[in-house]
Amino acid sequence: MAEGEFDQLVTCYYEPLYQFAYSLARDEADACDLTQQTFCVWAAKGHQLRDPAKVKTWLFTTLHREFLGIRRKLTRFPQVELEHAEPELPVVSPAAISRSDTQQVLAALAQLDEVYQAPVALFYLQDCSYNEIAEILEVPLGTVKSRLARGIGRLQELLGDKPRRSTVEPSNL
Amino acid sequence: MNLNEAKTILLLYRPGTADAEDPQIAEALALAKHEPELARWLADNSACQTALRGKFRQLTAPAGLKEQIISEQAARERVGYWRPRLALVAAVVVMLLGSLAIFSLPRAARDDTLAIYRNQMAGIALRGYSMDLATNDPAQIRTYLAQNHAPADFVLPDALQKAVLTGCAVEGWQTTKVSMICFHTGRPLPPNRTSDLWLFVVDRAALKDAPAALQVAVANRLLTATWTQGDKVYLLGIEGNETEIRQFL
Repeated sequence: MAEGEFDQLVTCYYEPLYQFAYSLARDEADACDLTQQTFCVWAAKGHQLRDPAKVKTWLFTTLHREFLGIRRKLTRFPQVELEHAEPELPVVSPAAISRSDTQQVLAALAQLDEVYQAPVALFYLQDCSYNEIAEILEVPLGTVKSRLARGIGRLQELLGDKPRRSTVEPSNL
Repeated sequence: MNLNEAKTILLLYRPGTADAEDPQIAEALALAKHEPELARWLADNSACQTALRGKFRQLTAPAGLKEQIISEQAARERVGYWRPRLALVAAVVVMLLGSLAIFSLPRAARDDTLAIYRNQMAGIALRGYSMDLATNDPAQIRTYLAQNHAPADFVLPDALQKAVLTGCAVEGWQTTKVSMICFHTGRPLPPNRTSDLWLFVVDRAALKDAPAALQVAVANRLLTATWTQGDKVYLLGIEGNETEIRQFL
């Protein structure tokens, strides 16, 4: 890979990758490591990618895999299909969100079940389409939507004032 | 589609994105045009989504991260380029001379700025390191560093001499050795930690922009103070604030 090409890639993506890494790891040093490791993997394997339009997805998928690898998570993630979830509608006001700072928002994100954290972070940070989030996280589109619905609802609940009743028990994948 | 179903679908709607092209969202948005209650809820939710996106995007990467990624990759590529060629040269020389092998190590990238050095040393302090020598004896530390060809003739500020030494390690920066001297400020430490104050000493020639005056800067979670004295650059790091670090300068 040409030197300038790598530099250009880093310039384009290091900031959003760091943001995603930080939202997952919630530690600056770990987020830096994850970001750097992602580009290391790219330098070694990026040439295998045939479709240049998939670079962004590839990088985010790699970072997410690295994160999961580090966590060595052995348990399987719960999953709720959207069609099975009862509506959980946000009760938070825009003013409540405005009062929160970024660290409070990230702290609330950290309180979500792990399975919801990555899709919600991608949803807010990167404006990824639902299909892109599904590709990055390597899960079906329906699963992404259900996780987003649950995750966003819970996040807004945590940032709001009123407690809400959980109406859906997650099932295992 | 009833109102609750529409709200559930619109919970995933981000104004100003391609979300509106999703057929379910498009249908729910069309319904909101005719249902005032849904329209009000949608306006509130959209404001929440916009505010949350703004909060998330306030996250910024630490200064120097991009340069660190690029420079370390360049160094790896140079090693990767030269290693097989040097091996071939060495093999030929061995065959020709029978007893002599010549090894030549590639020179690491010279992206030797203070910002990258600071980030790399902060990473070492924060992400864990193995103490080469655990002792509170300054003479033992200097002897160990000298034996390992790391800077040992450093000068500690008076205030830092009063801090409790816990040991030292030899670290690397580009092709130069760095002395890492560890201290304990006296504050409670997490389990398995013995130090919370670190001094890195490197030869001035290893940095192309050695600071002319004292610089205080944050690197990762570490607050650092950097200064040049004689032919050495000193970098002191602490997980604390500026008042705390200045107590040791």
